[in-house]
Amino acid sequence: MASQSRKGGKNRSGEEGVLARVTSTITQSSIVQRGKVVASDAAFVTKKLLKSTGKAAWIAGTTFLILVVPLIIEMDREQQMNELEMQQASLLGTPSVAPQK
Amino acid sequence: MASHVGLVPPTPAPYKDNEPKAAEKIDYLNLPCPIPYEEIHREALMSLKPELFEGMRFDFTKGLNQKFSLSHSVFMGPMEVPSQATETIKIPTAHYEFGANFLDPKLMLFGRILTDGRLNARMKCDLTDNLSLKANAQLTNEPHMSHGMVNFDYKGKDFRTQFQLGNGALFGASYIQSVTPHLSLGSEVFWAGQHRKSGIGLAARYNNDKMVATGQVASTGMVALSYVQKVSEKVSLASDFMYNYMSRDVTASFGYDYILRQCRLRGKIDSNGCTAAFLEERLNMGLNFILSAEIDHWKKDYKFGFGLTVGE
Repeated sequence: MASQSRKGGKNRSGEEGVLARVTSTITQSSIVQRGKVVASDAAFVTKKLLKSTGKAAWIAGTTFLILVVPLIIEMDREQQMNELEMQQASLLGTPSVAPQK
Repeated sequence: MASHVGLVPPTPAPYKDNEPKAAEKIDYLNLPCPIPYEEIHREALMSLKPELFEGMRFDFTKGLNQKFSLSHSVFMGPMEVPSQATETIKIPTAHYEFGANFLDPKLMLFGRILTDGRLNARMKCDLTDNLSLKANAQLTNEPHMSHGMVNFDYKGKDFRTQFQLGNGALFGASYIQSVTPHLSLGSEVFWAGQHRKSGIGLAARYNNDKMVATGQVASTGMVALSYVQKVSEKVSLASDFMYNYMSRDVTASFGYDYILRQCRLRGKIDSNGCTAAFLEERLNMGLNFILSAEIDHWKKDYKFGFGLTVGE
């Protein structure tokens, strides 16, 4: 570290120190610039994707709620009623009615 | 074909063997009477277009006699007002409707009057076995908005014809004929004097035990196809395709119709981004509970309604 500071202290001609030079080379290299652009693009695309997935999920969810949930509830009730009827028929000893399809 | 029936031997067992053969031979002189022309899309309409509403609805029907009954109905909810802007304007309204029905084997009278002054009247009379007269009228307070229509229907052995007269110089005629036991074809013409428009339309309907397929083309630019499949006794699925070749408007919709013991549930989804469901549940004898839901994802218009129907 002392040698570095001495090296840094040696360059008095207005140039930057070695550390600053190294970091500036790294940050101004083309790879890093490309990397930044790609990262911002990826963030943009991910945000849009999340939004559109959210919208799609909302549409799918509400449509499912309106179209399918009453159907499930009613079919369940129908099945319960059928079971109750078969049970009653077997308990009372009456000949069981053929299940209506 | 008539002679083939005479060849069937009288003993029961061979008769059963010959029965499927007799069913395959079509007796062209004994075709069934077709469905009336305006009801050609009947099954698809029943499954795909229930009476969706928004708000609260209460209907009470009381029979005074075997033939005569009165009905009271209350409706409270937002009504859509057509406006030029793309947004629909909804105005909350409430009205009470009083009605009377008279039902006879030969004559049927039906009248309804609303608190905002609209009168709705329908009459159906069987003049003879084959000829029947139907009339309906809607009268309103606003001038030039009332209209009435009279229909004469003649039912032949395997055809039906209808002649229609309406106010505003509206004339129409339609004819439908059974071509095979399953297929019937029909056509109609109409002339509207007030708008100076005339049109011709053709329709076909193929009927089976399990499915019904219909197609209709009209010179007003409308092409409508529909297909209903009866999957089981309780379930039927329907689909419908409508195309207007003048205005390039296309709509397709799919729906289901579940008729269970305690309820009837109809659901549909549209290509306009619209889904709807309609549930009629029988709570008790003569007591029906109705729920209606319609979601339009495109226009972000949500309509929900509930109601109760009392009476037979």
